[in-house]
Amino acid sequence: MNEQDDNFNTEIRRAWPENDNSRVPSFAVTWRAAEERYARSRRRYGMLAGAAAVVAIAIVGLQLQTSPTADVNYIEVDELMGSTSWTAPSDVLLPRHEFDIYQELPSVIESTETAGGSLL
Amino acid sequence: MRDSDALDNNPHVSLSALEAIHGQVYGWALSRCDFDHAVAEDLMQQAYVEVLSGSARFDNKSSLKTFVFAVVHNLAKSRFRRIASRLRLLREHATGLEEPIALPAEPDDSGDIWPAVKALPARQRDIIELVFCRDLTIEEASRVMGVSVGTGRVHYDRAKKTLRSRLLNTLSDDK
Repeated sequence: MNEQDDNFNTEIRRAWPENDNSRVPSFAVTWRAAEERYARSRRRYGMLAGAAAVVAIAIVGLQLQTSPTADVNYIEVDELMGSTSWTAPSDVLLPRHEFDIYQELPSVIESTETAGGSLL
Repeated sequence: MRDSDALDNNPHVSLSALEAIHGQVYGWALSRCDFDHAVAEDLMQQAYVEVLSGSARFDNKSSLKTFVFAVVHNLAKSRFRRIASRLRLLREHATGLEEPIALPAEPDDSGDIWPAVKALPARQRDIIELVFCRDLTIEEASRVMGVSVGTGRVHYDRAKKTLRSRLLNTLSDDK
């Protein structure tokens, strides 16, 4: 800074509106107020976080309560066996069910005559 | 090395160091809010909360004074932006209202240097205040304002030229 700057400096300092140092609030008061403000904001954030946690736990709890529980039903083997049967689809073609088609075998007449060296 | 009264969330800041610059920071805060003492006090408390909580962290890269000045400056800027956007909303939705923003008064011809300073563009006024009234260097002032040193120098030179010409005009008018 040169001499002209120094003159400006002095002039501006003199003209600056807040040269009255008596109106400066004490550091202790300002600092205490800041500390209270900080503590208040932390409390507020804490309460908000707590409320959010409570809401989250409530939602999870409700969901767990209302979700359908899967009932496990075991298959009884006897019941299963009693309830099932199988019949061959071709059984209906028979004159009676379970009638053995080969019960009466047709008699085959034995040929004794030959023709050209082979049996007829 | 950590001072005995260093802050938990800001280990490089001590209470005694903050107390030592308190008056100067208050002066800076005051000029950020058009010399309204209540707003300046609120701004100071906000700045201390930022320092206390560690949201604004001092890492010893500059002087503590520069750092706290920058915190106050940024808080004032965001406060101004918030108020400006509220006013804009108010103006949009309440068309019947009168213009709520009071424009800064034009400098009078009293020959006092203050009106000439007040009439400077904001950044030029800021750098003049920081260098002349708050005893910062141009580099430190630029850091507080969040501009490069080159830009700071330009603002400083322009402010000086403008002030000089205005004061010369006022003196010649008086004669």
